[in-house]
Amino acid sequence: MRNTWIVYQKEMLETARTYKLIWIPVVFILLGAMQPIITYYMPEILQAANNVPQGILEGYVMPGAGTVMSQALGQYSTIGILVLVLVAMNSLSGERYNGSAELVLSKPVSPAGFVIAKWAGLFTILFLALGLGVASALYYTEQLIGSLPWMDVVAAAALYGIWLLCALSLTLLFSAFLRAPAAAFLSLLSSAGMALADSLMPSWFQWTPAALPGLSARLLSEGREAVGVNLSPCLSAALLILFCVAGASTLMGRNKLPK
Amino acid sequence: MMQPLLQVSNLRKSYGRHLSVGGISFEIAQGSCVALLGPNGAGKTTTLRMIAGLLPPSAGSIGFTGSYQGGDFRRELGYLPQSPAFYGWMSGQEYVVFAAKLAGMNRKEAEGKAKAALERVGLKAAARRRIAGYSGGMKQRLGLAQALVHRPRLLLLDEPVSALDPIGRREVMELLREIREETTIVFSTHVLHDAEEVCDEIIVMKDGLIAEQGALSVLRSKYSQPVITVRTEKNAEAIQWLNSVGAKPFILEARLNGEHAVFNVDNLKQARHTILKEAAASNIPLLQFEAGSSTLEDMFMKVVGG
Repeated sequence: MRNTWIVYQKEMLETARTYKLIWIPVVFILLGAMQPIITYYMPEILQAANNVPQGILEGYVMPGAGTVMSQALGQYSTIGILVLVLVAMNSLSGERYNGSAELVLSKPVSPAGFVIAKWAGLFTILFLALGLGVASALYYTEQLIGSLPWMDVVAAAALYGIWLLCALSLTLLFSAFLRAPAAAFLSLLSSAGMALADSLMPSWFQWTPAALPGLSARLLSEGREAVGVNLSPCLSAALLILFCVAGASTLMGRNKLPK
Repeated sequence: MMQPLLQVSNLRKSYGRHLSVGGISFEIAQGSCVALLGPNGAGKTTTLRMIAGLLPPSAGSIGFTGSYQGGDFRRELGYLPQSPAFYGWMSGQEYVVFAAKLAGMNRKEAEGKAKAALERVGLKAAARRRIAGYSGGMKQRLGLAQALVHRPRLLLLDEPVSALDPIGRREVMELLREIREETTIVFSTHVLHDAEEVCDEIIVMKDGLIAEQGALSVLRSKYSQPVITVRTEKNAEAIQWLNSVGAKPFILEARLNGEHAVFNVDNLKQARHTILKEAAASNIPLLQFEAGSSTLEDMFMKVVGG
Protein backbone atom coordinates (compact mmCIF):
# COMPACT_ATOMS: atom_id res chain seq x y z
CA MET A 1 0.00 0.00 0.00
CA ARG A 2 2.73 2.42 1.11
CA ASN A 3 4.90 1.46 -1.84
CA THR A 4 2.01 1.89 -4.27
CA TRP A 5 1.77 5.44 -2.96
CA ILE A 6 5.52 5.96 -3.45
CA VAL A 7 5.32 4.72 -7.04
CA TYR A 8 2.28 6.97 -7.58
CA GLN A 9 4.26 9.97 -6.35
CA LYS A 10 6.99 9.04 -8.82
CA GLU A 11 4.36 8.84 -11.58
CA MET A 12 3.08 12.32 -10.78
CA LEU A 13 6.62 13.71 -10.67
CA GLU A 14 7.16 12.21 -14.11
CA THR A 15 3.97 13.72 -15.56
CA ALA A 16 5.05 17.09 -14.19
CA ARG A 17 8.65 16.81 -15.41
CA THR A 18 7.61 15.71 -18.89
CA TYR A 19 5.04 18.54 -19.06
CA LYS A 20 2.14 16.09 -19.47
CA LEU A 21 0.48 17.74 -16.51
CA ILE A 22 0.38 20.96 -18.52
CA TRP A 23 -0.19 20.12 -22.14
CA ILE A 24 -2.98 17.58 -21.70
CA PRO A 25 -5.18 19.93 -19.64
CA VAL A 26 -4.38 22.70 -22.14
CA VAL A 27 -5.65 20.53 -25.00
CA PHE A 28 -8.81 19.76 -23.02
CA ILE A 29 -9.34 23.42 -22.14
CA LEU A 30 -8.96 24.45 -25.78
CA LEU A 31 -11.31 21.71 -26.96
CA GLY A 32 -13.89 22.67 -24.35
CA ALA A 33 -13.72 26.43 -24.90
CA MET A 34 -13.74 26.19 -28.69
CA GLN A 35 -17.23 24.73 -28.99
CA PRO A 36 -19.26 27.57 -27.36
CA ILE A 37 -17.05 30.23 -28.98
CA ILE A 38 -17.38 28.80 -32.47
CA THR A 39 -21.13 28.30 -32.01
CA TYR A 40 -21.59 31.89 -30.88
CA TYR A 41 -19.56 33.45 -33.65
CA MET A 42 -20.81 31.10 -36.37
CA PRO A 43 -22.86 33.81 -38.17
CA GLU A 44 -19.82 36.14 -38.26
CA ILE A 45 -17.59 33.33 -39.42
CA LEU A 46 -20.02 32.44 -42.19
CA GLN A 47 -20.37 36.06 -43.21
CA ALA A 48 -16.63 36.46 -43.38
CA ALA A 49 -16.51 33.47 -45.69
CA ASN A 50 -18.42 35.71 -48.19
CA ASN A 51 -19.66 33.05 -50.56
CA VAL A 52 -22.33 31.58 -48.27
CA PRO A 53 -25.87 31.38 -49.79
CA GLN A 54 -28.27 33.84 -48.16
CA GLY A 55 -30.73 31.31 -46.77
CA ILE A 56 -28.24 29.60 -44.48
CA LEU A 57 -27.38 32.74 -42.55
CA GLU A 58 -30.98 33.68 -41.93
CA GLY A 59 -31.92 30.15 -41.00
CA TYR A 60 -29.18 29.90 -38.36
CA VAL A 61 -30.63 29.33 -34.96
CA MET A 62 -28.38 29.58 -31.91
CA PRO A 63 -28.47 26.15 -30.22
CA GLY A 64 -29.35 25.91 -26.54
CA ALA A 65 -26.77 25.91 -23.79
CA GLY A 66 -27.29 22.20 -23.07
CA THR A 67 -26.67 21.26 -26.70
CA VAL A 68 -23.51 23.33 -26.87
CA MET A 69 -22.23 21.79 -23.67
CA SER A 70 -22.87 18.26 -24.89
CA GLN A 71 -21.17 19.10 -28.19
CA ALA A 72 -18.18 20.33 -26.22
CA LEU A 73 -18.07 17.06 -24.30
CA GLY A 74 -18.43 15.25 -27.62
CA GLN A 75 -15.04 16.67 -28.63
CA TYR A 76 -13.48 14.58 -25.87
CA SER A 77 -14.76 11.31 -27.30
CA THR A 78 -12.68 11.82 -30.44
CA ILE A 79 -9.61 14.01 -29.97
CA GLY A 80 -9.72 13.66 -26.18
CA ILE A 81 -9.63 9.87 -26.30
CA LEU A 82 -6.85 9.95 -28.87
CA VAL A 83 -4.71 12.19 -26.67
CA LEU A 84 -5.32 10.09 -23.56
CA VAL A 85 -4.61 6.80 -25.31
CA LEU A 86 -1.39 8.13 -26.81
CA VAL A 87 -0.27 9.22 -23.35
CA ALA A 88 -1.21 5.92 -21.71
CA MET A 89 0.11 3.54 -24.37
CA ASN A 90 3.68 3.72 -23.12
CA SER A 91 2.90 3.58 -19.43
CA LEU A 92 3.55 -0.13 -18.90
CA SER A 93 5.11 -1.23 -22.17
CA GLY A 94 7.81 1.44 -22.07
CA GLU A 95 8.94 0.38 -18.62
CA ARG A 96 8.76 -3.29 -19.53
CA TYR A 97 10.85 -2.99 -22.66
CA ASN A 98 13.55 -0.67 -21.36
CA GLY A 99 13.96 -2.59 -18.12
CA SER A 100 13.10 0.09 -15.58
CA ALA A 101 10.18 -2.04 -14.41
CA GLU A 102 12.59 -4.89 -13.64
CA LEU A 103 14.55 -2.68 -11.28
CA VAL A 104 11.47 -1.32 -9.50
CA LEU A 105 9.81 -4.73 -9.20
CA SER A 106 12.95 -6.21 -7.63
CA LYS A 107 12.04 -3.99 -4.66
CA PRO A 108 9.13 -4.85 -2.39
CA VAL A 109 6.57 -3.69 -4.96
CA SER A 110 3.96 -6.08 -6.31
CA PRO A 111 2.97 -5.98 -9.98
CA ALA A 112 -0.56 -5.08 -8.86
CA GLY A 113 0.74 -2.16 -6.79
CA PHE A 114 2.79 -0.99 -9.75
CA VAL A 115 -0.20 -1.17 -12.11
CA ILE A 116 -2.54 0.53 -9.64
CA ALA A 117 -0.06 3.38 -9.20
CA LYS A 118 0.10 3.79 -12.98
CA TRP A 119 -3.68 3.70 -13.23
CA ALA A 120 -4.05 6.26 -10.46
CA GLY A 121 -1.54 8.50 -12.24
CA LEU A 122 -3.56 8.32 -15.46
CA PHE A 123 -6.76 8.92 -13.52
CA THR A 124 -5.26 12.05 -11.98
CA ILE A 125 -4.33 13.41 -15.40
CA LEU A 126 -7.82 12.64 -16.73
CA PHE A 127 -9.49 14.21 -13.70
CA LEU A 128 -7.47 17.42 -14.02
CA ALA A 129 -7.82 17.68 -17.79
CA LEU A 130 -11.53 16.93 -17.90
CA GLY A 131 -12.28 19.12 -14.89
CA LEU A 132 -10.49 22.14 -16.31
CA GLY A 133 -11.82 21.46 -19.82
CA VAL A 134 -15.41 21.25 -18.66
CA ALA A 135 -14.97 24.33 -16.48
CA SER A 136 -13.73 26.36 -19.44
CA ALA A 137 -16.55 25.06 -21.67
CA LEU A 138 -19.06 25.94 -18.99
CA TYR A 139 -17.59 29.40 -18.51
CA TYR A 140 -17.84 30.33 -22.19
CA THR A 141 -21.27 28.72 -22.55
CA GLU A 142 -22.57 30.78 -19.63
CA GLN A 143 -20.99 33.97 -20.98
CA LEU A 144 -22.05 33.62 -24.58
CA ILE A 145 -25.09 31.39 -24.80
CA GLY A 146 -27.00 30.77 -21.64
CA SER A 147 -26.87 29.34 -18.17
CA LEU A 148 -27.03 25.67 -17.23
CA PRO A 149 -27.82 23.86 -13.99
CA TRP A 150 -24.41 23.17 -12.45
CA MET A 151 -25.27 19.83 -11.00
CA ASP A 152 -26.34 18.56 -14.41
CA VAL A 153 -23.05 19.64 -15.93
CA VAL A 154 -21.07 17.95 -13.17
CA ALA A 155 -23.08 14.75 -13.54
CA ALA A 156 -22.75 14.81 -17.34
CA ALA A 157 -18.99 15.40 -17.09
CA ALA A 158 -18.67 12.56 -14.59
CA LEU A 159 -20.48 10.17 -16.95
CA TYR A 160 -18.16 11.25 -19.74
CA GLY A 161 -15.17 10.85 -17.45
CA ILE A 162 -16.11 7.27 -16.67
CA TRP A 163 -16.25 6.50 -20.39
CA LEU A 164 -12.81 8.06 -20.93
CA LEU A 165 -11.49 6.15 -17.94
CA CYS A 166 -12.66 2.92 -19.59
CA ALA A 167 -10.59 3.78 -22.67
CA LEU A 168 -7.56 4.57 -20.47
CA SER A 169 -7.93 1.31 -18.54
CA LEU A 170 -8.15 -0.67 -21.77
CA THR A 171 -4.94 0.98 -22.95
CA LEU A 172 -3.26 0.06 -19.67
CA LEU A 173 -4.39 -3.55 -20.07
CA PHE A 174 -3.01 -3.83 -23.62
CA SER A 175 0.12 -1.98 -22.60
CA ALA A 176 0.85 -4.72 -20.07
CA PHE A 177 1.62 -7.29 -22.77
CA LEU A 178 1.94 -5.48 -26.10
CA ARG A 179 4.23 -2.84 -27.52
CA ALA A 180 2.96 0.74 -27.21
CA PRO A 181 1.64 1.28 -30.78
CA ALA A 182 -0.23 -2.03 -30.76
CA ALA A 183 -1.70 -1.20 -27.35
CA ALA A 184 -2.89 2.20 -28.57
CA PHE A 185 -4.35 0.72 -31.74
CA LEU A 186 -6.22 -2.05 -29.95
CA SER A 187 -7.66 0.17 -27.24
CA LEU A 188 -8.82 2.76 -29.79
CA LEU A 189 -10.28 -0.05 -31.89
CA SER A 190 -12.13 -1.60 -28.97
CA SER A 191 -13.56 1.69 -27.67
CA ALA A 192 -14.56 2.72 -31.20
CA GLY A 193 -16.10 -0.73 -31.68
CA MET A 194 -18.13 -0.37 -28.50
CA ALA A 195 -19.28 3.13 -29.48
CA LEU A 196 -20.23 1.93 -32.95
CA ALA A 197 -22.16 -1.04 -31.59
CA ASP A 198 -23.99 1.31 -29.24
CA SER A 199 -24.95 3.72 -32.01
CA LEU A 200 -26.07 0.93 -34.37
CA MET A 201 -28.13 -1.02 -31.87
CA PRO A 202 -28.71 1.25 -28.89
CA SER A 203 -31.37 -0.97 -27.39
CA TRP A 204 -28.94 -3.88 -27.16
CA PHE A 205 -25.97 -1.98 -25.85
CA GLN A 206 -27.55 0.57 -23.53
CA TRP A 207 -26.10 -1.22 -20.51
CA THR A 208 -22.50 -1.01 -21.77
CA PRO A 209 -20.04 1.76 -20.94
CA ALA A 210 -20.39 2.93 -24.55
CA ALA A 211 -23.87 4.24 -23.67
CA LEU A 212 -22.36 6.75 -21.23
CA PRO A 213 -21.66 9.56 -23.76
CA GLY A 214 -25.25 9.38 -25.04
CA LEU A 215 -26.56 9.38 -21.50
CA SER A 216 -24.42 12.40 -20.69
CA ALA A 217 -25.76 14.30 -23.73
CA ARG A 218 -29.37 13.52 -22.83
CA LEU A 219 -28.77 14.63 -19.28
CA LEU A 220 -27.62 18.03 -20.55
CA SER A 221 -30.40 18.55 -23.07
CA GLU A 222 -33.32 17.11 -21.11
CA GLY A 223 -32.30 17.58 -17.50
CA ARG A 224 -31.78 15.13 -14.68
CA GLU A 225 -35.43 14.44 -13.94
CA ALA A 226 -36.23 13.45 -17.51
CA VAL A 227 -33.33 10.98 -17.76
CA GLY A 228 -33.77 9.43 -14.34
CA VAL A 229 -31.30 7.08 -12.72
CA ASN A 230 -29.58 4.65 -15.02
CA LEU A 231 -26.95 2.70 -13.21
CA SER A 232 -26.22 -0.23 -15.49
CA PRO A 233 -23.73 1.54 -17.81
CA CYS A 234 -21.84 2.87 -14.78
CA LEU A 235 -21.83 -0.56 -13.20
CA SER A 236 -20.58 -2.26 -16.35
CA ALA A 237 -17.94 0.47 -16.72
CA ALA A 238 -16.75 -0.14 -13.16
CA LEU A 239 -16.53 -3.86 -13.89
CA LEU A 240 -14.63 -3.22 -17.12
CA ILE A 241 -12.15 -0.96 -15.32
CA LEU A 242 -11.70 -3.48 -12.54
CA PHE A 243 -11.16 -6.24 -15.07
CA CYS A 244 -8.59 -4.13 -16.95
CA VAL A 245 -6.59 -3.30 -13.82
CA ALA A 246 -6.68 -6.89 -12.55
CA GLY A 247 -5.77 -8.23 -16.00
CA ALA A 248 -2.97 -5.71 -16.37
CA SER A 249 -1.59 -6.71 -12.95
CA THR A 250 -1.55 -10.39 -13.85
CA LEU A 251 0.00 -9.79 -17.26
CA MET A 252 2.53 -7.34 -15.83
CA GLY A 253 3.58 -10.01 -13.34
CA ARG A 254 4.31 -12.35 -16.22
CA ASN A 255 5.88 -9.84 -18.59
CA LYS A 256 7.90 -7.65 -16.27
CA LEU A 257 11.31 -8.64 -17.62
CA PRO A 258 12.72 -7.04 -20.76
CA LYS A 259 12.92 -9.41 -23.71
CA MET B 1 28.19 -24.72 11.56
CA MET B 2 26.42 -21.55 10.65
CA GLN B 3 23.17 -21.75 8.78
CA PRO B 4 23.62 -20.63 5.18
CA LEU B 5 22.04 -17.34 4.17
CA LEU B 6 20.72 -18.68 0.92
CA GLN B 7 19.81 -22.23 0.13
CA VAL B 8 18.97 -23.16 -3.43
CA SER B 9 17.88 -26.69 -4.08
CA ASN B 10 17.11 -28.38 -7.35
CA LEU B 11 16.19 -25.10 -9.00
CA ARG B 12 14.81 -25.45 -12.52
CA LYS B 13 13.46 -23.06 -15.09
CA SER B 14 12.15 -24.04 -18.47
CA TYR B 15 10.56 -21.93 -21.18
CA GLY B 16 8.33 -24.29 -23.10
CA ARG B 17 10.67 -27.09 -24.17
CA HIS B 18 13.80 -25.04 -23.71
CA LEU B 19 15.51 -25.71 -20.40
CA SER B 20 17.26 -22.60 -19.15
CA VAL B 21 18.29 -23.82 -15.70
CA GLY B 22 18.27 -27.58 -15.29
CA GLY B 23 18.10 -28.31 -11.60
CA ILE B 24 20.90 -26.70 -9.62
CA SER B 25 21.59 -26.74 -5.90
CA PHE B 26 23.98 -24.63 -3.88
CA GLU B 27 24.32 -22.82 -0.59
CA ILE B 28 25.67 -19.42 0.15
CA ALA B 29 27.08 -18.69 3.56
CA GLN B 30 26.61 -15.40 5.32
CA GLY B 31 29.39 -12.97 4.51
CA SER B 32 30.81 -14.86 1.58
CA CYS B 33 31.33 -13.63 -1.94
CA VAL B 34 30.33 -16.04 -4.64
CA ALA B 35 30.88 -15.66 -8.37
CA LEU B 36 28.49 -17.29 -10.77
CA LEU B 37 30.78 -18.07 -13.63
CA GLY B 38 29.90 -19.26 -17.09
CA PRO B 39 29.62 -18.43 -20.76
CA ASN B 40 26.69 -16.49 -22.19
CA GLY B 41 23.52 -18.55 -22.16
CA ALA B 42 24.62 -20.71 -19.25
CA GLY B 43 21.61 -19.65 -17.18
CA LYS B 44 23.32 -17.19 -14.84
CA THR B 45 20.88 -14.34 -15.38
CA THR B 46 17.89 -16.66 -15.08
CA THR B 47 19.26 -18.01 -11.79
CA LEU B 48 19.81 -14.53 -10.37
CA ARG B 49 16.36 -13.40 -11.46
CA MET B 50 14.79 -16.39 -9.74
CA ILE B 51 16.68 -15.63 -6.53
CA ALA B 52 15.59 -11.99 -6.77
CA GLY B 53 11.98 -13.13 -7.01
CA LEU B 54 11.50 -11.72 -10.50
CA LEU B 55 10.94 -15.11 -12.14
CA PRO B 56 8.95 -17.97 -10.68
CA PRO B 57 11.00 -21.20 -10.79
CA SER B 58 9.54 -24.14 -12.71
CA ALA B 59 10.64 -26.42 -9.88
CA GLY B 60 12.86 -26.44 -6.83
CA SER B 61 13.11 -24.05 -3.95
CA ILE B 62 14.98 -21.00 -2.79
CA GLY B 63 15.33 -20.54 0.95
CA PHE B 64 16.37 -17.24 2.40
CA THR B 65 17.03 -17.53 6.11
CA GLY B 66 16.57 -14.70 8.50
CA SER B 67 13.75 -12.95 6.71
CA TYR B 68 11.27 -12.09 9.40
CA GLN B 69 7.85 -13.63 9.20
CA GLY B 70 5.37 -11.81 7.02
CA GLY B 71 8.01 -9.40 5.78
CA ASP B 72 8.92 -9.18 2.16
CA PHE B 73 12.28 -10.92 1.64
CA ARG B 74 13.07 -8.41 -1.10
CA ARG B 75 13.68 -5.84 1.61
CA GLU B 76 16.83 -7.74 2.50
CA LEU B 77 17.92 -7.97 -1.10
CA GLY B 78 19.82 -5.67 -3.39
CA TYR B 79 19.61 -6.44 -7.09
CA LEU B 80 21.42 -4.97 -10.03
CA PRO B 81 20.43 -6.24 -13.48
CA GLN B 82 22.85 -6.56 -16.37
CA SER B 83 21.93 -3.26 -17.99
CA PRO B 84 20.02 -1.29 -15.39
CA ALA B 85 17.45 1.15 -16.77
CA PHE B 86 16.51 4.18 -14.72
CA TYR B 87 14.15 7.07 -15.28
CA GLY B 88 16.16 9.54 -17.30
CA TRP B 89 14.11 12.50 -16.07
CA MET B 90 15.12 11.81 -12.46
CA SER B 91 18.35 12.90 -10.86
CA GLY B 92 20.65 10.26 -9.39
CA GLN B 93 19.82 11.46 -5.89
CA GLU B 94 16.08 11.22 -6.56
CA TYR B 95 16.35 7.68 -7.85
CA VAL B 96 18.29 6.42 -4.86
CA VAL B 97 15.84 8.14 -2.50
CA PHE B 98 13.01 6.45 -4.42
CA ALA B 99 14.73 3.07 -4.00
CA ALA B 100 15.36 3.69 -0.30
CA LYS B 101 11.73 4.64 0.32
CA LEU B 102 10.57 1.49 -1.45
CA ALA B 103 12.79 -0.48 0.93
CA GLY B 104 10.77 0.94 3.81
CA MET B 105 12.62 4.05 4.93
CA ASN B 106 10.92 7.32 5.72
CA ARG B 107 11.74 10.41 3.70
CA LYS B 108 14.36 11.84 6.01
CA GLU B 109 16.20 8.58 6.54
CA ALA B 110 16.03 7.80 2.83
CA GLU B 111 17.61 11.14 1.94
CA GLY B 112 20.46 10.66 4.37
CA LYS B 113 21.18 7.09 3.30
CA ALA B 114 20.92 8.00 -0.38
CA LYS B 115 23.48 10.74 0.04
CA ALA B 116 25.86 8.36 1.77
CA ALA B 117 25.36 5.65 -0.86
CA LEU B 118 26.00 8.07 -3.72
CA GLU B 119 29.10 9.41 -2.06
CA ARG B 120 30.34 5.89 -1.57
CA VAL B 121 30.04 5.01 -5.26
CA GLY B 122 31.65 8.29 -6.24
CA LEU B 123 28.59 10.02 -7.64
CA LYS B 124 28.44 12.86 -5.14
CA ALA B 125 29.23 15.53 -7.70
CA ALA B 126 26.72 14.18 -10.21
CA ALA B 127 23.96 13.40 -7.70
CA ARG B 128 21.80 16.35 -8.72
CA ARG B 129 22.19 15.82 -12.46
CA ARG B 130 19.58 14.07 -14.58
CA ILE B 131 20.31 10.37 -15.12
CA ALA B 132 19.73 10.83 -18.86
CA GLY B 133 23.13 12.53 -18.99
CA TYR B 134 25.04 9.78 -17.15
CA SER B 135 27.71 7.63 -18.82
CA GLY B 136 27.58 3.85 -18.80
CA GLY B 137 29.99 3.62 -15.87
CA MET B 138 28.03 6.19 -13.88
CA LYS B 139 24.80 4.30 -14.48
CA GLN B 140 26.43 1.10 -13.25
CA ARG B 141 27.62 2.89 -10.10
CA LEU B 142 24.16 4.39 -9.63
CA GLY B 143 22.83 0.85 -9.96
CA LEU B 144 25.15 -0.21 -7.15
CA ALA B 145 24.02 2.74 -5.03
CA GLN B 146 20.34 1.85 -5.41
CA ALA B 147 21.09 -1.80 -4.60
CA LEU B 148 23.13 -0.87 -1.52
CA VAL B 149 21.18 2.01 -0.03
CA HIS B 150 19.06 -0.11 2.30
CA ARG B 151 22.01 -2.20 3.52
CA PRO B 152 20.75 -5.50 2.09
CA ARG B 153 21.90 -8.79 3.54
CA LEU B 154 22.31 -10.26 0.09
CA LEU B 155 23.52 -8.39 -2.96
CA LEU B 156 22.79 -9.90 -6.37
CA LEU B 157 24.75 -8.41 -9.26
CA ASP B 158 24.29 -9.54 -12.83
CA GLU B 159 27.43 -8.98 -14.89
CA PRO B 160 28.33 -5.80 -13.03
CA VAL B 161 31.48 -5.06 -15.02
CA SER B 162 30.91 -6.66 -18.42
CA ALA B 163 29.72 -3.54 -20.20
CA LEU B 164 32.32 -1.19 -18.76
CA ASP B 165 35.57 0.18 -20.11
CA PRO B 166 38.79 -0.72 -18.22
CA ILE B 167 38.61 2.32 -15.94
CA GLY B 168 34.95 1.84 -15.09
CA ARG B 169 35.66 -1.84 -14.53
CA ARG B 170 38.50 -1.01 -12.16
CA GLU B 171 36.29 1.34 -10.14
CA VAL B 172 33.44 -1.12 -9.79
CA MET B 173 35.81 -3.95 -8.80
CA GLU B 174 37.34 -1.74 -6.11
CA LEU B 175 33.86 -0.99 -4.81
CA LEU B 176 32.92 -4.65 -4.76
CA ARG B 177 36.04 -5.43 -2.73
CA GLU B 178 34.95 -2.85 -0.15
CA ILE B 179 31.32 -3.94 -0.12
CA ARG B 180 32.15 -7.57 0.40
CA GLU B 181 33.39 -6.70 3.87
CA GLU B 182 29.86 -5.72 4.84
CA THR B 183 27.47 -8.03 3.10
CA THR B 184 27.04 -11.22 1.14
CA ILE B 185 27.57 -10.87 -2.59
CA VAL B 186 26.57 -13.11 -5.46
CA PHE B 187 27.64 -11.82 -8.83
CA SER B 188 27.71 -13.32 -12.27
CA THR B 189 30.49 -12.91 -14.77
CA HIS B 190 31.97 -14.68 -17.74
CA VAL B 191 35.50 -13.70 -16.84
CA LEU B 192 37.35 -15.93 -14.37
CA HIS B 193 39.79 -13.14 -13.59
CA ASP B 194 36.99 -10.94 -12.22
CA ALA B 195 35.85 -13.75 -9.98
CA GLU B 196 39.36 -14.42 -8.66
CA GLU B 197 39.81 -10.74 -7.90
CA VAL B 198 37.06 -10.36 -5.31
CA CYS B 199 35.54 -13.74 -4.56
CA ASP B 200 36.47 -16.68 -2.49
CA GLU B 201 34.03 -19.11 -4.00
CA ILE B 202 32.90 -19.84 -7.51
CA ILE B 203 30.05 -21.71 -9.12
CA VAL B 204 30.74 -22.59 -12.73
CA MET B 205 27.62 -22.99 -14.83
CA LYS B 206 27.25 -24.41 -18.27
CA ASP B 207 24.04 -25.13 -20.19
CA GLY B 208 21.90 -24.56 -17.13
CA LEU B 209 23.85 -26.93 -14.90
CA ILE B 210 26.59 -26.51 -12.34
CA ALA B 211 29.79 -27.82 -13.85
CA GLU B 212 32.00 -27.16 -10.85
CA GLN B 213 31.70 -25.33 -7.57
CA GLY B 214 33.74 -24.71 -4.48
CA ALA B 215 36.20 -22.44 -2.76
CA LEU B 216 38.77 -20.98 -5.10
CA SER B 217 41.69 -22.24 -3.02
CA VAL B 218 40.34 -25.80 -3.05
CA LEU B 219 39.65 -25.71 -6.77
CA ARG B 220 43.09 -24.28 -7.49
CA SER B 221 44.88 -27.19 -5.90
CA LYS B 222 42.40 -29.69 -7.29
CA TYR B 223 43.05 -28.56 -10.84
CA SER B 224 46.75 -28.05 -10.42
CA GLN B 225 47.95 -30.95 -12.53
CA PRO B 226 51.35 -31.38 -14.11
CA VAL B 227 51.15 -30.23 -17.68
CA ILE B 228 53.59 -30.04 -20.57
CA THR B 229 53.21 -27.63 -23.43
CA VAL B 230 55.07 -28.30 -26.66
CA ARG B 231 55.24 -26.27 -29.84
CA THR B 232 57.14 -27.29 -32.93
CA GLU B 233 57.74 -25.88 -36.36
CA LYS B 234 54.92 -26.37 -38.79
CA ASN B 235 55.80 -29.53 -40.64
CA ALA B 236 54.07 -32.82 -41.18
CA GLU B 237 56.75 -34.93 -39.53
CA ALA B 238 56.67 -32.90 -36.32
CA ILE B 239 52.88 -32.98 -36.10
CA GLN B 240 52.91 -36.71 -36.60
CA TRP B 241 55.42 -37.01 -33.79
CA LEU B 242 53.23 -34.92 -31.49
CA ASN B 243 50.35 -37.27 -32.23
CA SER B 244 52.49 -40.27 -31.33
CA VAL B 245 53.49 -38.63 -28.04
CA GLY B 246 49.81 -38.13 -27.26
CA ALA B 247 49.31 -41.88 -27.31
CA LYS B 248 52.00 -42.65 -24.72
CA PRO B 249 50.89 -44.30 -21.49
CA PHE B 250 52.04 -41.52 -19.14
CA ILE B 251 49.83 -38.97 -20.93
CA LEU B 252 46.50 -38.55 -19.18
CA GLU B 253 45.04 -36.22 -21.70
CA ALA B 254 46.33 -34.65 -24.85
CA ARG B 255 45.01 -31.57 -26.57
CA LEU B 256 46.50 -31.11 -30.00
CA ASN B 257 46.05 -28.09 -32.14
CA GLY B 258 48.27 -28.48 -35.20
CA GLU B 259 51.84 -27.88 -34.14
CA HIS B 260 50.76 -26.82 -30.62
CA ALA B 261 50.14 -29.51 -28.01
CA VAL B 262 49.19 -29.52 -24.33
CA PHE B 263 49.66 -32.76 -22.41
CA ASN B 264 48.34 -33.54 -18.96
CA VAL B 265 50.75 -36.08 -17.51
CA ASP B 266 50.88 -38.22 -14.41
CA ASN B 267 54.63 -38.09 -13.89
CA LEU B 268 56.25 -34.84 -14.91
CA LYS B 269 59.84 -36.04 -14.55
CA GLN B 270 59.41 -39.14 -16.66
CA ALA B 271 57.33 -37.37 -19.28
CA ARG B 272 59.80 -34.52 -19.66
CA HIS B 273 62.69 -36.94 -19.99
CA THR B 274 60.96 -39.12 -22.58
CA ILE B 275 59.65 -36.30 -24.71
CA LEU B 276 62.93 -34.42 -24.83
CA LYS B 277 64.92 -37.56 -25.60
CA GLU B 278 62.59 -38.53 -28.43
CA ALA B 279 62.56 -35.05 -29.85
CA ALA B 280 66.33 -35.00 -29.96
CA ALA B 281 66.57 -38.49 -31.39
CA SER B 282 64.13 -37.92 -34.25
CA ASN B 283 65.41 -34.39 -34.89
CA ILE B 284 62.11 -32.63 -34.21
CA PRO B 285 62.30 -28.84 -34.73
CA LEU B 286 61.09 -27.75 -31.28
CA LEU B 287 60.13 -24.11 -30.81
CA GLN B 288 58.82 -24.22 -27.28
CA PHE B 289 58.84 -26.64 -24.41
CA GLU B 290 57.31 -25.84 -21.09
CA ALA B 291 56.69 -27.95 -18.03
CA GLY B 292 54.42 -26.60 -15.33
CA SER B 293 51.06 -27.03 -13.75
CA SER B 294 47.63 -26.25 -15.04
CA THR B 295 45.66 -23.33 -13.68
CA LEU B 296 42.06 -22.60 -12.90
CA GLU B 297 41.87 -20.83 -16.23
CA ASP B 298 42.63 -24.14 -17.98
CA MET B 299 39.88 -25.82 -16.01
CA PHE B 300 37.46 -23.02 -16.85
CA MET B 301 38.31 -23.09 -20.52
CA LYS B 302 37.89 -26.85 -20.57
CA VAL B 303 34.51 -26.70 -18.84
CA VAL B 304 33.30 -23.85 -20.97
CA GLY B 305 34.77 -24.97 -24.25
CA GLY B 306 34.21 -28.71 -24.02
